[in-house]
Amino acid sequence: MNTQWQTSGSMSQSKLSAVSTLYANYAAKLFGYIFEVVKNQSVAEQYLVAVFNDVPNEIDDFLKTGANALCRLQMMARKKLSEFFETLDNETDKQALQNLQPLANNKYVAMMSPLQQQVFYAIHYRGHTIAQVAAELSKSNEEVKKVLKQCFTIIRNGRDNERLHR
Amino acid sequence: MKDYIDSGALEVFVMGCATDEEVEELLYMKAKYPEVNEALKQLEADMEKMAQNAAIAPPPRTWDKIEDEINSLILTEERLNKPVQFRAYDTGYGGQPKTPAADQYIEVEGASSHMRLHKAWRYVFAAVFILGKIFLGFAIYFYLENRQAQEQIKELKTEIKELRR
Repeated sequence: MNTQWQTSGSMSQSKLSAVSTLYANYAAKLFGYIFEVVKNQSVAEQYLVAVFNDVPNEIDDFLKTGANALCRLQMMARKKLSEFFETLDNETDKQALQNLQPLANNKYVAMMSPLQQQVFYAIHYRGHTIAQVAAELSKSNEEVKKVLKQCFTIIRNGRDNERLHR
Repeated sequence: MKDYIDSGALEVFVMGCATDEEVEELLYMKAKYPEVNEALKQLEADMEKMAQNAAIAPPPRTWDKIEDEINSLILTEERLNKPVQFRAYDTGYGGQPKTPAADQYIEVEGASSHMRLHKAWRYVFAAVFILGKIFLGFAIYFYLENRQAQEQIKELKTEIKELRR
């Protein structure tokens, strides 16, 4: 019986240690991502804490071979942030948020066209599905996927250019 | 396979907005074609690079908050998973009763200094208050009556003494 408790205790410790490693590697990236959406350090910190508090429940998904931890964390954050958008108090807040330029500081996104930015922002920051974005822009799902692919091409080209200039 | 990579399905997966069918299809393609796996890794690297570009160090005490929260969750989980052991308290050696371990008691004393009562108690309190007033009135009345009677007895005694003379 004692051994069982000790095993459960050591499992809990290993979970905490796994979360600690994830935090060390990805907290800054995730905090930057959340901050781009909420534009407030204190609010962004609360979301970061909420995301990492949920990590022990989903630690098995992180430990799967081939799973990308940052993408997984961003998905969790996106889910939490969708609640942020839903709980905006009034129309003025919603309008103010829509008028924000969340991507202005991101040099990769700054290279995208307005349509590409619109698609990338809706999916990456607001957590919209392809179907939602397609309906918003009156386009087909395939067209939206193509635009998203173009966004990644721009990011990769920017990345490659950086390598060349080093 | 190239058409699949060019369709944007990998980008949709990396962004976490793929449907269940799309995820299944991707996992199948990834297992079957190494090129798909390679393209996926490239996209993940793109995401990492972009996130790196926007990275901001979180406030210094953030990890402590997360650690505290997770530790408290772990403690709660361990308590819930711990099997409950019920046993009768028998007397120990030498007739000394065995005392149960301290952690087997449930703390019932609340932290609040206030208590809540059912509204029906207000009628009881009102009745007690009114009865209290009535008894006080009777007490004063009988005290005065008693004092008056004492005075009358005193006067009568004086009169009797005078008559005897």
